[in-house]
Amino acid sequence: MNSISQKAMRAWVGLGPRFLPFADAASAEVPLSRLLRLSLVQVSVGMSLVLMVGTLNRVMIVELGISAGLVATMIALPVLFAPFRALIGQSSDTHVSVLGWKRVPFLFNGTMVQFGGLALMPFALLVLSGGGAAKDYPVWIGQAAAALSFLLVGAGVHTTQTVVLALATDLTSEDRRPKVVGLMYVMLLVGTIASALIFGHLLEEFTPGRLIQVIQGTAVVTITLNGIALWKQESLKRMTAAELAAPQPSFRDSVRRYMQGEAARRRLVAVGLGTMAFGMQDVLLEPYGGEILGLSVADTTKLTAALAGGGLIGFAAASHVLSRGADAFTMAGLGTLVGILGFAGVIAAAPAGSPMLFAAGVIVIGAGGGLFGHGTLTAAMNYAPEGQAGLALGAWGAIQATAAGLGIAVGGLLRDAAMSIGALEGLGAARGYMIVYATEIVLLLATFAAMSSLFRPAGNQSTRG
Amino acid sequence: MDNLDDPNRVWPTGLTIKESEALHRHVIDGARVFFAISVFAHLLAYIYSPWLK
Repeated sequence: MNSISQKAMRAWVGLGPRFLPFADAASAEVPLSRLLRLSLVQVSVGMSLVLMVGTLNRVMIVELGISAGLVATMIALPVLFAPFRALIGQSSDTHVSVLGWKRVPFLFNGTMVQFGGLALMPFALLVLSGGGAAKDYPVWIGQAAAALSFLLVGAGVHTTQTVVLALATDLTSEDRRPKVVGLMYVMLLVGTIASALIFGHLLEEFTPGRLIQVIQGTAVVTITLNGIALWKQESLKRMTAAELAAPQPSFRDSVRRYMQGEAARRRLVAVGLGTMAFGMQDVLLEPYGGEILGLSVADTTKLTAALAGGGLIGFAAASHVLSRGADAFTMAGLGTLVGILGFAGVIAAAPAGSPMLFAAGVIVIGAGGGLFGHGTLTAAMNYAPEGQAGLALGAWGAIQATAAGLGIAVGGLLRDAAMSIGALEGLGAARGYMIVYATEIVLLLATFAAMSSLFRPAGNQSTRG
Repeated sequence: MDNLDDPNRVWPTGLTIKESEALHRHVIDGARVFFAISVFAHLLAYIYSPWLK
């Protein structure tokens, strides 16, 4: 060890435990304030997502004049990283450290990666747009740098979110998980909505300098929130030499063991189908309102808010019902039925020419999606086999994020395909959307069918009888 | 200064030398990542606007 390192080491060991990032010895019940702090990671996740998918999507096309195809490719890149969530979760389950930490190192590294991506992103985008002196350089530099920055942010988001959900599973008992899941979802929504408004406001007068400030500011906020979130969450567990040397199961072995668990495959299929069904309408919502029902831009923006509001209603209802002992999967199944009702309403809105019916349908879809998401996540936590919380949550997240990304792509493609082959001519311009919404109803029915054998009568596990 | 050689001594922090080394490694790794990011960000900034000229 060199002398500088040795000095630093002395500084570390000389500090009081108050200044070290370890939790106090494990108590019977983790206080709500600590879980609230942990959920700050979801705020930074929401912030990064809205920045990439929402704000920069527009900025790159309108202000920076980058081609729409290139922008779509960049935005899609993080989804490619989603399947690795299972691997990240499994690695954190089997992570060996003298400190006995499993989740915090991943949370820390994930945060660093996310920060790095955001720190690079504004420069990468400016070079990509060919502004300033960048036009004298080869085009691939900008493309590679932008792709790298989007990949880094995506990798960071997937890592921190997976590990934070696994950590939340570690920290809570089964009866409190519905509340924790509700908290995590609400914080994600809060992060998304608040940062969308703030980004919109800050970028109203666009300059390259402002872009750098906003994105790098996001990077600093990310590292601050995640730092607060991970502080004193995992306690120091002294490992014996035997524990440190013990061989850890490989990814393949872990997956095999996980898949042998109670209907694991069926549960994952249901998550994938259902998420895709709910996700397909995401990008069609506003164009449907504008094109078919003739709503103004201000009104269609309210639709997105209505969807989020419906989601909040769903999460709140789910937390309430589940913490009284209902079965998480049965409730998720109910969510698919609610979703079918919502989509039926949205389809009926076009021939009826009723924006009110449409808005009501959107809120109901949001609520159904909320019930479904909450139910499947709670189930993923509760059914996680001993010592495999990371893998269980990683698998849930991998399927969920991939299906959501696929759903958006399929939704857009399906509408365009339906328009070009001229199916259902009689319905006019609405027919492309109709086909997507009808497909979503079919997918939701399939989800319900896949899940139905997993339903349990309410009150099976706890209080309600 | 006390000797740093006893691997089992628990220091006032509640950490042994090995444990504080593990903690220190995270700090160092973080610093390396920051350094790499800043080099790359400076390179891109230079390409866009050579030292703000």
